[in-house]
Amino acid sequence: MRISWKWLNEFCKIPLSPEEAAERLTVTGCEVESIERPCSTLKGLIVGKVEKLQVHPERSDLFVAEVELGGPRVQCVTAAQNLREGDTVPYGAPGSVIADGTVLGKRTFDSVVSVGMMLSAEEIGLPGIADEFGILRLPAGLTAGEDLIKALNLDDCILEISITPNRGDLLSLIGLARECYGVIEGSTLEKQELKPPRIGDPGSVSWDGLTLADPGCPLYGLSFAPSVQIRPSPMGTRIRLAFSGIRSINNIVDATNYIMLVTGQPLHAFDLDRLPAREITVRGAREGERFRTLDGQDHTLAEGDLLITSGGIPVALAGVMGGENSEITAETKSVAFESAFFEPLRVSRTARRLGMGTEASYRFSRGVDPSRVLPTLSCLFEYLLKDGAHQVEENVRVVSSRSWEKRRIPLTRRKMHRVLLWDDLEQASKILQKLDLKEISATGEKRVFEIPTSRADLSIEEDLIEEVGRLRGYESVPSRIPPLLHGTGRVGDEVEAHRRIRVAAMSRGFLEIVTYSFINPKWVEWLRIPETDPRSRGFRLTNPISQDQSLMRTTLLPGLLQALQTNLRSGWKDPIRLFEVGRVFLPGEEGEDHRESLRMAGVSWNGKERRILHEPYLKDDVLSLKADVLALCGSRGQIPDFSAGSEPFGHAGQTAELRLEGKPCGYLTSIKPGILRELEIPGPVFAFELDIESLLPEKGFRFGQVVRYPAVYRDISLIAPLSRPAASVEEDLRKLGGSLLRELVLFDVYQGAGIPEGTRSLAFSLAYGDPGRTLRDEEVDAIHEQLRRNLSEKGYILR
Amino acid sequence: METINAKIANIRENMMQELDSAGSSESLQALRVRYLGKRGELTQMLRSLGNLPPEKRPAAGQALNELRQEIEAALEARSLLIARAEDEAREATDFVDVTLPPRGRGWGGFHPVVQTMNEIIDIFVGMGFSVAYGPEIEDDFHNFEALNIPPHHPARDMQDTFYLDNGRLLRTHTSPVEVRAMLRWGAPLRIIVPGKVYRRDSDQTHSPMFHQLEGLLIDEDVSLADLKGCLNTFVGAIFGRPLDSRFRASYFPFTEPSLEMDVECFACSGRNPSCRICKGTGWLEILGCGMTHPNVLRYGGIDPDRYNGFAWGMGPDRVAMLKYGLTDLRVLFEGHGSFLTGGGY
Ligand SMILES: [Zn+2]
Repeated sequence: MRISWKWLNEFCKIPLSPEEAAERLTVTGCEVESIERPCSTLKGLIVGKVEKLQVHPERSDLFVAEVELGGPRVQCVTAAQNLREGDTVPYGAPGSVIADGTVLGKRTFDSVVSVGMMLSAEEIGLPGIADEFGILRLPAGLTAGEDLIKALNLDDCILEISITPNRGDLLSLIGLARECYGVIEGSTLEKQELKPPRIGDPGSVSWDGLTLADPGCPLYGLSFAPSVQIRPSPMGTRIRLAFSGIRSINNIVDATNYIMLVTGQPLHAFDLDRLPAREITVRGAREGERFRTLDGQDHTLAEGDLLITSGGIPVALAGVMGGENSEITAETKSVAFESAFFEPLRVSRTARRLGMGTEASYRFSRGVDPSRVLPTLSCLFEYLLKDGAHQVEENVRVVSSRSWEKRRIPLTRRKMHRVLLWDDLEQASKILQKLDLKEISATGEKRVFEIPTSRADLSIEEDLIEEVGRLRGYESVPSRIPPLLHGTGRVGDEVEAHRRIRVAAMSRGFLEIVTYSFINPKWVEWLRIPETDPRSRGFRLTNPISQDQSLMRTTLLPGLLQALQTNLRSGWKDPIRLFEVGRVFLPGEEGEDHRESLRMAGVSWNGKERRILHEPYLKDDVLSLKADVLALCGSRGQIPDFSAGSEPFGHAGQTAELRLEGKPCGYLTSIKPGILRELEIPGPVFAFELDIESLLPEKGFRFGQVVRYPAVYRDISLIAPLSRPAASVEEDLRKLGGSLLRELVLFDVYQGAGIPEGTRSLAFSLAYGDPGRTLRDEEVDAIHEQLRRNLSEKGYILR
Repeated sequence: METINAKIANIRENMMQELDSAGSSESLQALRVRYLGKRGELTQMLRSLGNLPPEKRPAAGQALNELRQEIEAALEARSLLIARAEDEAREATDFVDVTLPPRGRGWGGFHPVVQTMNEIIDIFVGMGFSVAYGPEIEDDFHNFEALNIPPHHPARDMQDTFYLDNGRLLRTHTSPVEVRAMLRWGAPLRIIVPGKVYRRDSDQTHSPMFHQLEGLLIDEDVSLADLKGCLNTFVGAIFGRPLDSRFRASYFPFTEPSLEMDVECFACSGRNPSCRICKGTGWLEILGCGMTHPNVLRYGGIDPDRYNGFAWGMGPDRVAMLKYGLTDLRVLFEGHGSFLTGGGY
């Protein structure tokens, strides 16, 4: 909200500079975001009076004016068509500066010298106050030669204040003045009381009735101005509206806005003659009902929206905007002014749904002060009478279905002390009274306050404690480390697992990234994930910012591949390994709403056309990445089993399924070359994804026996079908090798000449040993021979 | 006897001379063969002892043995010297330019936000807070209603929400975990909730996804003083030195009173009116906090008359940006290797 400092000071005299006041307001909860001085670039401008005006002797599109400056007279050329002799105008002599920083001088227009310039509204930095094209004509009563800035009160500054949603009361000068009075020491309050209007039948207008047919509007007042003249507002009003960020329309609409800025109560003006009937009913909208607001927009309404209707026809969207059918126009002769209370949540819902944040809806959503609804109408009439737009103050037609009790809230010494560590109730009461809270009872332990209806945000004791706390200043509360520790803080398994795995990955050259949880839905297709796969059924955002961030990820792979693409597009050539830890979002199983699973995934890319010294050593393949996966799981004391697997995006011959204690916990793969081609990533790319939850139970690290006697080594070489995984051969060896087989290492795999088609040869080095003694050669020979026999029986061909 | 003694002296002298000039392990081996080998001079002399009269044999034998030991010791000493010299010569030619690039993989690298989040977690764990988690896909009740934000309340405008096709929403803050934690563990309670949150907002200082760390302490007789102490301690720890702070009044529907904490600009301490970090204000907005609203305690099944507490929510992204001097929030989530490795290529 934009607030004119000078205007604010008419309601509360503040003994501080705007900067000091802003600082204080900010600390107490009204954040002043900026202080603007709209006319600060202007220099040396004065009021000039047009004494003589003639058409330029050589050019019929220009005028030559003789301008009186309170002594000297100068000659000025202008193209403006709107001047008359006798007008006063803003004038800048040579050397003075206008809003855009231009320094004025002398110019010659076809042999006529023009000294300085007569100025338009835009040239003095206030385009919004223009009421016609051309030079800005000033109001009567100004003297030639007078300083323009002073004459128009332009030496003002504008506070841009951000008001929190609970403080609807601050969306008015009266409310803000009260706040300033409360928070700024030494300020004095002016003009707080509003005069209640005379209530009754309007004398000069025949009016049939007011009906409130929806509890969303418990109070509605209407007053009439039967003969008005539509014209521009006075200059002072136009300037204040411009300073407040509101566009000037005409004297009637401006009056409603001007008064709203003062009291915070939005008003609406209907063209009385354009109302379909001399009657108004406030009712709820019907689902699908159509309505055109005065900005020319058509809206489809929903149940719950509040409508002002006349003769059954909607004429305003209550609290949001009036209708085009009854708006004030240049031809308007008589006006009906509405001032009402609409339920905040009703207005808020309508305004949010239709995306219509107006000055009115903003205030109604935050709650207007019911006690100001009717007095605001007297305020308005006072203004209109002064302006001369209207002659007689009329009675106000009112209908109301509710009365507002003033809330009473206690403040106890105990609770206040608990929060603020301070218990001076006497002092607290003084603070609260400055905010217009009335103390209605006092004991040593407890005071009770009556809350003004403007402060809808105050409803419980804690609210009063906050008022006391913020006005006293939070710097007065001491600072201490919370006592009463009940035990040690725990990082927990999830963080612990995440940390170990993360550090292990970084140590192995992986770069940690964080990508968005929402992805382009096309990734499902790009990764060829079939409909039968739950990963194809991610949740969609109904209101994404863009399509490429509209599907909740079901795997971390897209983010990593996309990061890889991003790097490649920006010219990255080095080998790169990336990893991310984050959640994926899957459809729930049996009764679950959805499932969030913490994953870790990594990709590795071998680099491109980069000549490096040790080339062969940095190339990854599925088995080198397997070492990484084992190391990551190893950091949690876990060793997963690898078996041939399949992933929709995985190379058919190079994909492993990972299991921990029989339960699937991830995959390791080389991404399908076809997919990489489509993604324009020159392959290969190796990838893995692990379910961190399955790594949460840390498998207590096991330690072995100390071995003091060396092992005895024997080799074994056998032929097995290609289809038999090495792991299963190893398992056979272990099972058949007896209790003294301590270790086995696969050191050669061969297929080709000399080996039957469909088989391969595997060679292992076996270590036999006993922790308690050295084995004798004969003993080992016997065991080894037995193993060979067992293997033969099992169908292996031994070499 | 004379002749034997003379011979021994002769051998000793020759041997020692030749030993001095032996420069390699090969020449040393040749010497050994020449004197101590099967046909070596000393061996032959020992064999010829039988030719001496029996009474002279012991003395001659002893003298020869002494010579043998002497030679062996000299050879050994010389051999050590030569081996060392040879090693040195070999090492001198077997030269590796240690300024060449390393072979194998180096350190990968961390993401500034994850790193910062971990540091923040450790600071609060040190003050007795435990880590709690909650879902990122939330329902309206936990994200809004239980936090004292009824439907259509204007406070909802503070947080533009993403909705999902299953009727749920993406949590706009980590606060929903407060109520979940209260219901699960009751009071007293000290938790922190790190995690991702989502708002429909995107520009240089807003990302539709960002991180938050929520904190909640519930106990008997909790004061704003505890909140201040706890958060001041945190600020000192994360920025490495105590920084001045101020607490401004603010508004959050789920706390009462509500405050915002600013810390002294660690770059300029308010002394540089054109400071880019604090925009000349001298203060950095760092977190929102307050005393937990009694309604929220009630939703969490905690008696607000007996217990009260405080809560805060901070943005680790912002803390990370301040800590590492970053300016654009959005690049944090694009995975640029050049950005994350700090140097480009
Ligand atoms: Zn600074």
